[in-house]
Amino acid sequence: MKTDDIIEDGNLDYLRDAMGAEPTGQEQPPTPPAEFRWVGWPVPRVDGRLIVTGRAKYIHDLSFEGMLHARILRSPYASAEIVSLDTTAAEALPGVMGVLKLKEGRVKYEGEQVAAVAAVDETTADTAIELIKVEYKELPHVISAEAAMAEGAPRVQDAPNVQKFNEYTRGDIDQGFASAEVTLERTYRTRFEIHHPLETHASVAWWKDDELTVWDSTQAVHNTHDGLARMLNIPAGKLRVICQYMGGGFGSKLGANEHTAAAARLSQLTGRPVKVALSRKENSLCVGNRPSTVITIKGGAKKDGTLTALHLKNYTSGGVGRGDRSSEPLRDIYKCPNVKVEEYTVFINAGGSRPTRAPGHVQGTFALEGFMEEFAGELGMDPLELRRKNYSTSNLGQTGNPYSSKGLDECYTLGAEKIGWAKRNKKPGAAPGTKKRGLGMATQIWWGAGTPGTAAEVKVHPDGSVEAICGTQDIGGGTRTFMATVTADTLGLEPKDITVKLGDTTYPWAPNSGGSQTAPSVAPAIRDAALKAADWLKELAAKKLKIPAAGIVIAGGKLFDKASPEKSIAFADCLRDQYREAVFQGLRGDLPAGFAYNSFGAHFAEVEVDTETGQVKVLRVAAAHEIGRVLNRLTAESQVAGGITQGLSAGLFEERVTDEYSGKMLNTNLEDYKIATAEDMPEMTFLFVDKPDPRINNLGDKGLGEPPRIPSTAAIANAVYNAIGVHLREIPMTPDRVLKALAAKEAGS
Amino acid sequence: MKSFRWAEPKSVEQAVALLAAGQGKTYLMSGGTDLLGQLKEGIIEADVVVDLAAIPGLSDIRKDKDGLKIGALTTIAELASDPAAGQDYPGLRRAGSVIASPQLRNMGTVGGNICQRPRCWYFRNAGIICFKKGGDRCFAFEGRNKYHAIFGGSPCYIVYPSDLAPMLLALDAVVAIATPQGERTLPLGKFYALPDVDVQRENVLAPGELVREVRLPPPAKGARSAYLKLEERGAWDFALVSCAVAASGPARSPSSLRIAMGGVAPIPWRLSGVEAALKGKSLTDAAIRTAVRAALKEAVPLSENGYKSALVETAVSRAVLSIA
Repeated sequence: MKTDDIIEDGNLDYLRDAMGAEPTGQEQPPTPPAEFRWVGWPVPRVDGRLIVTGRAKYIHDLSFEGMLHARILRSPYASAEIVSLDTTAAEALPGVMGVLKLKEGRVKYEGEQVAAVAAVDETTADTAIELIKVEYKELPHVISAEAAMAEGAPRVQDAPNVQKFNEYTRGDIDQGFASAEVTLERTYRTRFEIHHPLETHASVAWWKDDELTVWDSTQAVHNTHDGLARMLNIPAGKLRVICQYMGGGFGSKLGANEHTAAAARLSQLTGRPVKVALSRKENSLCVGNRPSTVITIKGGAKKDGTLTALHLKNYTSGGVGRGDRSSEPLRDIYKCPNVKVEEYTVFINAGGSRPTRAPGHVQGTFALEGFMEEFAGELGMDPLELRRKNYSTSNLGQTGNPYSSKGLDECYTLGAEKIGWAKRNKKPGAAPGTKKRGLGMATQIWWGAGTPGTAAEVKVHPDGSVEAICGTQDIGGGTRTFMATVTADTLGLEPKDITVKLGDTTYPWAPNSGGSQTAPSVAPAIRDAALKAADWLKELAAKKLKIPAAGIVIAGGKLFDKASPEKSIAFADCLRDQYREAVFQGLRGDLPAGFAYNSFGAHFAEVEVDTETGQVKVLRVAAAHEIGRVLNRLTAESQVAGGITQGLSAGLFEERVTDEYSGKMLNTNLEDYKIATAEDMPEMTFLFVDKPDPRINNLGDKGLGEPPRIPSTAAIANAVYNAIGVHLREIPMTPDRVLKALAAKEAGS
Repeated sequence: MKSFRWAEPKSVEQAVALLAAGQGKTYLMSGGTDLLGQLKEGIIEADVVVDLAAIPGLSDIRKDKDGLKIGALTTIAELASDPAAGQDYPGLRRAGSVIASPQLRNMGTVGGNICQRPRCWYFRNAGIICFKKGGDRCFAFEGRNKYHAIFGGSPCYIVYPSDLAPMLLALDAVVAIATPQGERTLPLGKFYALPDVDVQRENVLAPGELVREVRLPPPAKGARSAYLKLEERGAWDFALVSCAVAASGPARSPSSLRIAMGGVAPIPWRLSGVEAALKGKSLTDAAIRTAVRAALKEAVPLSENGYKSALVETAVSRAVLSIA
């Protein structure tokens, strides 16, 4: 039977029958909890069929009667003064319905908004944009952090280009180095990455009768709501934000956008719905990026590997925005008594940064875990042993509290066994020949405890139908599906019996889908509402069955007496004499104090490096994660596959390229900004510790959004080091860089 | 994108007449995989686009005693799966099958592939006016140039991006060109021209001319060929460096050996010096590398593309040894 048939038939039992005989690629068959029929099992997405058949309407697909199309005129210069802006000709063009001037004075990056038009069709809008006359006076720009840090460099902001923005100390760093028997200092570099969601940023705004409705491709309907109300200075109660389906964000769609505000203004001006959909080039320039970093780590340890000191210095650039704080992994992962952190942001004339799937942790883990791998080499230790030696059971970097749960040691064991860690090159680069294989690993820590106060509703109708409602959004992680499975399991129903409603600010508040907080925020709130509904239903059944509610079980579409199951009533029969829907409000409760709540994981990679061409092929990745309870094995695996893909892609290919002379970005398309293809993907194994956290929430689940993206690049870089005996300390590891590193090693030896 | 007029000629003669009529800027379209990108990105503005799709007889592959004739509108996918091409010219099948992605191979054509414009990211940026677009500098020369030329660059350092062109050059292909005066033929080696000839063009087609066919001589006894493409990623990538080789005669010391490189120069780059140095020699890794290193003395690497020299050495050695 094909997956297609399963979805068509709704016959999910098939999956469970098949799991024993034919696991879906995972080496470790899931052992779902006995108390749940759906939660923890591999359940196909409830909206999967709509999505793959193209019937799910993304923002780019939306169209309304009389809708206008907006285009934004953007600065072609990285730094310039707008001398004059003349929109007369554009306004006079037939079909142009509205023009906005958006900027005066100085533009600080290529792609900054200057003006906007709304026209009856896209072609007219394009033509109108070309008719806008802007006179710029070009100003000196700085495009690289190196140039921005040079003495006398032109200032990007009204402040010096280099700003200290984070420092931290624990213990006594000098003492730590004084007591070290071995020390090592290394510098690691990561470049700017662009989020590049499949669906570029897009909004439709419709201002009608003093009320504004905005359909936005967003990771955060409520944050967008709040942000737009402030930007437009309108009562938040007159605004509604909707996002039913969106094509990815990776952090670039966490709030209100300037282009959305422009579309709203144009709608107000014209009285018609206005759509704005950014091009791939605009997506490359002006809706965020992952900051570059130059991270220097100096570490000290005893000969047995016990860390005595870690010192991190980071110069990070986020364009006109701030760079990424990248020191969390170093502060938290290892039990090191003496730690010092200094982080500086460097302004340059390029689009501002936005959070990018695991902001700071990706760069910080590449550096820290690269350092640990090299330090192990220096100490003559197995790199995994060095990590185990410094294992920490409490969160030293923030609260000092013990972790509520930490399955990292099990991740190490699962991953090491799967990849065959014992077979690694004991001496990096020792393998003979020109195609060298190597193994590497990296550790991950992240938050993902969820947000207290997240609200949800479960509605039970007199006909027995059930709605699960939350003002969250499904950014591709499978939110709809777990809302259905959690409700179904709690009420003894099937996912298909639950109507899921999300992606609308008229629904109860939920946080943005960033920081891995959706599942540990929304699932417990839904669970809470559904448990209240179940209690109420048991009371109804108790009256009808004439038994105490305490003895009633709700399962299999029925409510029945636990002691004598033949005393039962069908779910819908309980409700027939109700004359109104019953609404149950659920909340994600507080996190119990005195503990630290974090997710953990470890990736293990095997690579083959062609030492004559510098090409790196990732052969296998074994990814082990501890995220408390796994809510849905299928979507969890999908999430990890995505994390590995992005990590591999960033490790081998992705880099924003800018031209110092013209100040322009050169690879504003998906041909030159290279993202991994199917051909580049390794064999992947997905391993989960899968133990509910005892206190984090009523389901024991932590988030999985960011975690699989964090260690993948570092594990691959470390495998390259193990293969060729030299650490590149820089991503992406393109053939030119690999060959350069090999040549440097040759020259040094 | 500016509006343009659309023409659908029914014969090559009509197409040539449209080109020669010179009603503003006229561009040919076959698969459109390159042209549409240029139009949409504002790299070019067309007054007339001449779609060749309705012209019969341009998408055949015919084998006869004179060799193989490949119609200009043959898609890359058709070429890569053609039994006659695959049997006699395995390197050509390989070159076809590693181009871009399945979707692009289904749309892109042989004629379009050998006439495509460069992928240089300065040339492809509408906001940058370089030599190739009538400007007064090559931005890559002192700019970002990891993908640029190490041979034949001055004054413009593009690399010719086609995978088919170096292979066809190694196979001694001839291009049949329709002109207002009838047909003329040119060896592929004379079809391309370096930037110091005309920096705004990559070939010698005159106004009013179009490529109608590519012809390959029949395979000599013991003929063999190979194409090796070094890319950054596993698919949908232009070559960092590629090597096309064609040989005939005894395995280890062929009587004929032709080597052409992609990704290193503004035109497909024949390594005649290497061919000469290896003539009559037994083909070993050491002999090949010695010959390539001598040829690389002519290379002029820029700030970021020096690694290409190492790739050339390896690519030639591996490609030649694969058919030795």
